[in-house]
Amino acid sequence: MRRTILSAMALACTAVLAATAPAFADEGPSPAPSVTETTPQGPSPAPTDAPSKAPAKAPAKAPASAPSEVPVVPSGAPDTGAEPESEQSATGGGVIGGSALAVFAVGGAAVYLVRRRRATGA
Amino acid sequence: MTLPSRRAFATAAMASLLVSCGGHGAGQDTDTAERPRSTPPPSRPSAETGGPAEALKRSVPVGIRIPAIGVDTPVMQLGLAADGTVEVPPIAADDRAGWYRHSPTPGQTGPSVILGHVTVGAYGEGVFRHLARLRRGERIVARLENGKAAVFTVSTVRTVAQADFPTDEVYGNVGRPELRLITCGGPHTSDGYRDSVIVFAALSSASP
Repeated sequence: MRRTILSAMALACTAVLAATAPAFADEGPSPAPSVTETTPQGPSPAPTDAPSKAPAKAPAKAPASAPSEVPVVPSGAPDTGAEPESEQSATGGGVIGGSALAVFAVGGAAVYLVRRRRATGA
Repeated sequence: MTLPSRRAFATAAMASLLVSCGGHGAGQDTDTAERPRSTPPPSRPSAETGGPAEALKRSVPVGIRIPAIGVDTPVMQLGLAADGTVEVPPIAADDRAGWYRHSPTPGQTGPSVILGHVTVGAYGEGVFRHLARLRRGERIVARLENGKAAVFTVSTVRTVAQADFPTDEVYGNVGRPELRLITCGGPHTSDGYRDSVIVFAALSSASP
């Protein structure tokens, strides 16, 4: 009877140990993995850095060395809008009309003054 | 005697089962926790630009057709003016577009630049008078000297102040066949038109 109880206890202990061993193993490695994860993360920045640096540098160099698709670049914006005739005539007409009106006014004033002098002189 | 041993076996079995289940759960968590870390670096989307049509061989443009705004005009060649600006087509009754000959021909890799007037003085409206009405997705067909036609699809239409003309965006490297159509726009001042209208288009197909 003792044997059976002892054997049962031993079995139970081994079962519990066997079951807890992975749990410990899980817990144990979890810091370890976290360390190994951090160490992988340590390397991971390195790999990510390496690829990110490599492509970043490569394209930066490529355009600099790549020939220009437009070798001769013009300056400024192209003048692709000749002033429409209607606007030209409108502005021109305005200037001409204004000057004609001024000449007419000066002439009228001169005539008025001459007539008034004659009237007062007579 | 048999009872305690059975109980012991049962408890041992239950304990091992419970613990083993718990252990697996933890393992899965770490897996799921690791997955997101490994998935983030998908740098592919940036590289996934839509596949443009293949570049064509050099052939000078002889005409351009823009069905959406009723343009169908011959194309002449333009160079640089003495002041360093790009030449423009002559002010004439038979207004036409002009291709800047230092840019790639339509369909070649790079920005092919074609200019046209919005107004031509006494002759009224220019060939690109309605350029600003173009919308994204509309077609532009450039007829080439070798008999082929390069078909472009409008991607952007921009109206920018001439003082801030985006030279780099218009003439800079693009790495694929593109087209730029340029004319004047905006209000007309004593110094001329205030703005430039620029159509950006990419090669979508080529017809033999």
